[in-house]
Amino acid sequence: MIIKRRINLSGILLALALAFGPALLTAQSLEEKVTIHTLKNGMTVLFAERHGAPVFSTLYGFKVGSVDEYPGITGTAHLFEHMAFKGTPRIGTKDYEKEKALMEKIAQGGREWSVELAKGEQGDAEKIARLRAELTKLEQEQKAFIVKDEIDLIYSNAGGTGLNAGTGTDQTMYIISLPANRFELFCLMESERIRNAVLREFYVERSVIQEERKQTTDAVPTRLLSELFMGAAFIAHPYKNPVVGWASDINSVTLEEAQAFKQRYYTPNNCVLAVVGDIHPESAIPFIEKYFGDIPRGEDPPPFRTVEPKQLGERRVRFEFDAEPQLMMGYHKPNFPSKEDAAANVLAYILTRGRTSRIYKDLIQDKQLAVSVSALAAFPGDRYPNLFGFNAVPRFPHTVEEVEKGILEHVERVKTEPVSERELQKVKNNLDASYIRSMSSNFGIAMTLMEYQLLFGDWKLFRTYRELIAAVTAADVMDFAKTYLTPENRTVAYLVKKAKAS
Amino acid sequence: MKRTATQVTTAITFALLILALPVLGQRHPSELSSPPPLSFKMPKPVMFTLANGVRVAYIQDSELPLVWVLGYFRGGSLFEPGDKAGLAQITATVLRTGGTKIRSGDQINEELEFIATTIEAMGSAEFMTVTGSALKKDFAKLMEVYADLIMNPAFPQDKLDLARNQSLEAMRRQWDRPTQVSNMLFQEKLYGADSPYGRRATPATLTAIVREDLAALHKRFFSPANLMLGVAGDVSADEVKATLNRVFKGWAKAKVDLPEPAPLTERADGTIYYAYKDTPQANLYLGHLGVRRNGPDQYKLEVLNNIFAGGGFTARLMKELRSNRGLTYGIYGGVMDGRDRGPFMVASQLKAAQFVEALGIIRGIIRDLQTQPVTDEEIETAKNSIINSFVFNFEQKNQVMSQFMTLKLQGFADNYLDTYIDNIRKVTKQDLLDAAKKYMDPDKMIIVVVGDEKRFDKPLASLGTVKSIDLKALMEAERGPQK
Repeated sequence: MIIKRRINLSGILLALALAFGPALLTAQSLEEKVTIHTLKNGMTVLFAERHGAPVFSTLYGFKVGSVDEYPGITGTAHLFEHMAFKGTPRIGTKDYEKEKALMEKIAQGGREWSVELAKGEQGDAEKIARLRAELTKLEQEQKAFIVKDEIDLIYSNAGGTGLNAGTGTDQTMYIISLPANRFELFCLMESERIRNAVLREFYVERSVIQEERKQTTDAVPTRLLSELFMGAAFIAHPYKNPVVGWASDINSVTLEEAQAFKQRYYTPNNCVLAVVGDIHPESAIPFIEKYFGDIPRGEDPPPFRTVEPKQLGERRVRFEFDAEPQLMMGYHKPNFPSKEDAAANVLAYILTRGRTSRIYKDLIQDKQLAVSVSALAAFPGDRYPNLFGFNAVPRFPHTVEEVEKGILEHVERVKTEPVSERELQKVKNNLDASYIRSMSSNFGIAMTLMEYQLLFGDWKLFRTYRELIAAVTAADVMDFAKTYLTPENRTVAYLVKKAKAS
Repeated sequence: MKRTATQVTTAITFALLILALPVLGQRHPSELSSPPPLSFKMPKPVMFTLANGVRVAYIQDSELPLVWVLGYFRGGSLFEPGDKAGLAQITATVLRTGGTKIRSGDQINEELEFIATTIEAMGSAEFMTVTGSALKKDFAKLMEVYADLIMNPAFPQDKLDLARNQSLEAMRRQWDRPTQVSNMLFQEKLYGADSPYGRRATPATLTAIVREDLAALHKRFFSPANLMLGVAGDVSADEVKATLNRVFKGWAKAKVDLPEPAPLTERADGTIYYAYKDTPQANLYLGHLGVRRNGPDQYKLEVLNNIFAGGGFTARLMKELRSNRGLTYGIYGGVMDGRDRGPFMVASQLKAAQFVEALGIIRGIIRDLQTQPVTDEEIETAKNSIINSFVFNFEQKNQVMSQFMTLKLQGFADNYLDTYIDNIRKVTKQDLLDAAKKYMDPDKMIIVVVGDEKRFDKPLASLGTVKSIDLKALMEAERGPQK
């Protein structure tokens, strides 16, 4: 799951490019358009030339997401992503030296305040109020030296669009599109941010994120269900934590913790940049070298250790809420690139994509037990073994139990009866076409290139994905279902409507 | 834009200098030399009319082996009977899923999905829209099915039942999301529950719809002279003409009569509508009527909206409520246009414990715009942003086509895009002050808030007349008896 700095952009914008499979036809032409350039400090830059309108889109990501957090600092990858818009020692300030002195005091005061807040009910209310008041005073003093949201201001003046960022389980990415004559501006701005983001207005932004969590999770039944589900499906691996973080952690994470997190992961050697549009790499690379070249290489991020233990039996969880019922279920499985992941992608399509999919025809169109059922082939992330599963919305008066039973009948059928050749071919035709369609926007191309390079180390793996999908047979789909879609490997979560009070 | 050899040399020289400096030796962006001019020719679709009166907009795009089709029929929910609200949307849905006299809906699904071709239909306020997309090799197939669907839909009973059941379930669930509830109540209070602009489909109006209504609506709107069809993609003009003439052969002309809905009247009177819901934030919609589309002050309002709410983090609402105070994750609004009049509105999900304070700040921001000129920096940034990002309207050819069609259908002048930048450039600080006075009235605004008043900083009654809306009662009245 990806959450964004800004409000309510279309979900499509940041849908993982991995959902698309490439077509051999245009895979060839994309490969011809791509230039790769690696800086001495380890940063990788990918260009794809498209000389239509005089514009370009950029997308760069760091291989760090909520999966790299630990208890107490959940939500920090996302929090830092917000902080990356607050400027640098050059941008966003009228007098950085004066600000620096104030920010040291703010860091200290904020820490004391956060420690007291973290005590929850046991916290000293009077002390909390006093510390908050002192912090507010310091924040007011700093305000005199701040140029408000200057990153936004500069890009707006330049005609930039889509300035945004997103944090997911696996990665954090930054996005801006600009007119083609602003490439140097882009290099200057982003190299400054990567080199030295200044965490101004930290405690105000923390409050924004508290509101973000309420708006996008606590008031949204589907998101609450997903949180509960993930917590049950994973018992050890940090995929169990929500990207936005737990409320208690958002309420108490400190400026220093965010800074330390940034220093550990925001290194050029942990970064991939994709530039797509009306840009010539030969004239762009000197600017890249000039601005990004001397950012010091950092230590490689610490090795990831936690492996989710094998699930030993079915897990079932439920919660009551003032909302109509929904259900979510999932099974552990291997991640990309693997034969199993490819089979999962094909199966998800056969079961629920489009009006000719098996579950749509049966449960939605004919029996009308549900209004929507979506199979997900790989969630919540791709860096580590993940889940195959379903989201489903029953139709009144049908229940989550009936819908679950209906879905499971289809899962069982796949184990005993091979999927048809026509179904397999339909999926492959559609994955090919989706890929071609994703090539019609600069941003779509940037996403594909950046993600494969960042998460799997080679942008050309987009072709591997196609090859894996093309090789999937009916027997592979059946093997996948038999091996992974078993009751003991399953987690099911229900949201049920709160019984009426009185 | 091409970068010249000179610039590359300069870049290298700078790179050498920079390397010798400490890390903070980078420049501020304002120190960059001004960028080379952007040369840009606006791509323009061509228009032609078929013998039966269908107007066609076409633009070639041979980058990828794809074709997009976009058809607009005038007519939509504004013209449906009030006691059958929801008819336009349901007609669109069943037009697509129900198949034709010679192809069943299920057969169409099988044929199209196998070749990754899509056709979808929807009913909006003013238009019935049918879109399609295919690989170029399947263009003829796409158009054959497309034409058959819009000319000869079967509207079978089972697909009407399916569409209705799906909509009824969506209605049951619309009460689950506080943001959606506050928006729904705002539309109703702003335009009036009986107005075609403010009424909404309910279980009762959906249940009243029968097959004959779908056929009648289809007959009324789906006529060749009432269609504007766009084609973009890797097909030649000749192929488009030949294909369209073939697939639309025999489509009889009919006169389309769309009586204009009764004009809107301002109903906003400063009332606060409060609906209790156990939810952590205060879900706010406020405003009154805005302006008619394509009006004399449209460019002034575009710049004003950018400064007020539309320009992301450079806008006053976002800067003050989110960035300076941390009271919300997002806030947007502006003086919007519409066929009759759009809304002037602000919407946000706000921190409950400071809701009344936030409301005061929003009012203050509106009053400031009416009493003080904006700063030079603000108007410059807003104009620069609009002007310099103009090229992004032309990034994709199918987007160029749909923009071209929308402007034509909504009565904008043919040279609208050619003169747009100049018109924005002309806007002055005085214009913005005048527009804010003319189009915003903070005393008249209705305020719709969904949340739990016990969590607010002050009682709502301290702000003015409060009318409570009982959501549970409303929901149950709309849903009817449940088992």
